[in-house]
Amino acid sequence: MTQFKVPVDLIMSKMAEDARQAHTRAQKASEVLLDKLETQLAQTPYDVVFQEDRVKLKHYKPKKKTAYKTPLLVVYALINRETMLDLQPGRSVVERFLEEGIDLYMIDWGYPTRNDRFQGFDDHINGYMDTMVSYICKETGAKKVNLMGICMGGAFSVMYSALHPHRVKNLVTTVTPTNFDTDKGLLHIWMKNMDADKVVDTYGNLSADIMNFGFLMLNPARLMIDKYLGFYEHMDKKQFVENFVRMEKWIFDSPDLPGEVFREFIKECYQQNKLIQSRLEIGGKRVDLEKITMPLLNIYGKFDHLVPPEACDKLTTAVGSCDTKDICLNTGHIGIYVSSKCQELFAPEIARWLKQRDGDLKNTPAPNNGKKGLARTAVLDMTENHPEKN
Amino acid sequence: MGNDTKDPFGLDALMTNWTQSMNQAMAAMAGAWPEEKPEEKEPEKGQKEGKGADTGKPGSDPAETLATAARYWQTIGSAMLAPETLASVLKGAGTIPSLSMEFGQAVLSSLTEFQTRLAENAVRLGESVDAYTFDRLDEGMPQVWADIYEKEFKKFFHIPQLGLTREYQERVNALMDKYNLFQADYAEFTRLCTLPFQRSVGVMQDKISEMAATGELPEDSQAYYQMWIKVLEGHFMTLFQTPEYVSALSKTISSLAGFTEARDAVLEDMMRGLPVARQSDMDDLARQVYELKRKVRRLEGELSRSKDSIT
Repeated sequence: MTQFKVPVDLIMSKMAEDARQAHTRAQKASEVLLDKLETQLAQTPYDVVFQEDRVKLKHYKPKKKTAYKTPLLVVYALINRETMLDLQPGRSVVERFLEEGIDLYMIDWGYPTRNDRFQGFDDHINGYMDTMVSYICKETGAKKVNLMGICMGGAFSVMYSALHPHRVKNLVTTVTPTNFDTDKGLLHIWMKNMDADKVVDTYGNLSADIMNFGFLMLNPARLMIDKYLGFYEHMDKKQFVENFVRMEKWIFDSPDLPGEVFREFIKECYQQNKLIQSRLEIGGKRVDLEKITMPLLNIYGKFDHLVPPEACDKLTTAVGSCDTKDICLNTGHIGIYVSSKCQELFAPEIARWLKQRDGDLKNTPAPNNGKKGLARTAVLDMTENHPEKN
Repeated sequence: MGNDTKDPFGLDALMTNWTQSMNQAMAAMAGAWPEEKPEEKEPEKGQKEGKGADTGKPGSDPAETLATAARYWQTIGSAMLAPETLASVLKGAGTIPSLSMEFGQAVLSSLTEFQTRLAENAVRLGESVDAYTFDRLDEGMPQVWADIYEKEFKKFFHIPQLGLTREYQERVNALMDKYNLFQADYAEFTRLCTLPFQRSVGVMQDKISEMAATGELPEDSQAYYQMWIKVLEGHFMTLFQTPEYVSALSKTISSLAGFTEARDAVLEDMMRGLPVARQSDMDDLARQVYELKRKVRRLEGELSRSKDSIT
């Protein structure tokens, strides 16, 4: 039998050192955890200017004179909360937009209850979204809005733009799934076999806890073990603890998903992939992507495990617009909005793109030479080419 | 059946003996009272006339009632002792034991099958495991139990119920059935989720052996943890894409929904008598409000468009 040389003495002495450090850390951590922590989310001031049922329209108070003719409406997903765009001062997409002089509105979908279980795509897109857009147009005097959608909110924005193209001046989609026929992301694999009817008929809405459990199960080693060990190792650092707790608050502040939306999203999109094929019908009308003729900016994450690039990058070639652009960021699903590196790039890039298209149509650039289906694709590697300025 | 010489302890022999002894006891009881001949019996002195006259009427005296009952029993008992009658009675009486017997047989055969498959699985223990592959997901015990349940036990919860409480009893049975199905699926799902941990331990052992052989063992315990968490993550990522996991996940979610549905149905039955609104009542109400809201929204739109067209 081979005789191995195992440095047991060294390992043991290192473990003893680790134990001493852990003891010191625990003492410091108790001071940090018992101290007052700044963990509040969404601190940028806003007014709720309109409300229908549980759905609110937020209007952010401008930081400077509005530099855009067209207001921007941000549509977040029905999963988790829009507060992710305004995590904390200095790490806020909302703050960045306001600094650029954008007149910013955002939909807060609220917390659906069992009463909302019958609300589907039609109610959210032709109902709430359309009402909000009408309100903004009426209040600002604009004929159209710029629409920016995030994840499922991006899919809603695509559907809205196809159904109401006369209301949307520019469309920005971020980490937006439109092609569901891929096996790159685990969600795409798992949802293929999901009996959505059974779940919705039984539970009414899809419980946030079940959804969160599903998201944790996407990577249990990291999200259930490593993450909390990481917290344990840094819990003596106040800023780390504040950021960690803030993120935890956001992750588990999850509304239930209205049952009919879940049913339609799973069956029509994940299982039948109707959206990208322009076969989806909402409120008796076909969602024809050819009708999306306004400029389209499509941003997604190269390492997004929830909505992989393959689920996003077909949109620009499926729409009727001649002015389309893909941007693939070297980051994941949430990193686009919250990582410091992306903060430097993401919001300013959108602001710049919108600014170029804010005037009359005659001044709008036609980067695809007026030809449909020739989307420009930019891969932005923030890790190497865009080091943090601070 | 009915031949007690073949089996002195059989049900038919017992029945015959019991009926005979009951007949004898009843005959003794019947004989303990005088014959029904009141005219032959002189009223005792001082006895009220009425009472003496009453003794001859059947059922008028408790003792006489008992005697009559004993005689009825004798008649029935003798009839029962006839071989054809006894066989018929025993056939009916055998129904319940035969049901129990069937259940017992199901339990026994299941245990045997369970043991066999356990032994088959045990043989595979110790076979080498390849890292990051889940193409040989051994059939787990939960799945064996699920198969046995489906084949042997499920049917007992589907025996037709009768009478006034039929629907309620059916729902209770359905709840028990769905609970068992969910437990089986959940156990299989849990088993699959523990596989990456098991396999990671095996891979770690191999890695540590390799490093020890080359003298590259890290001194920092953190390094071991980092190694383990990477291996574990890799195993999970591989497992999650296997058809077995996808199927187990889907089945668990569906069977949990099935159990919840069955549980809610039983709870709603229980709440029927209470002065509170049930979930289904509230759902009906919510649907009505939802449909009314849609109607109002549509009418508002039409009104708005009409106004626009006029102006």
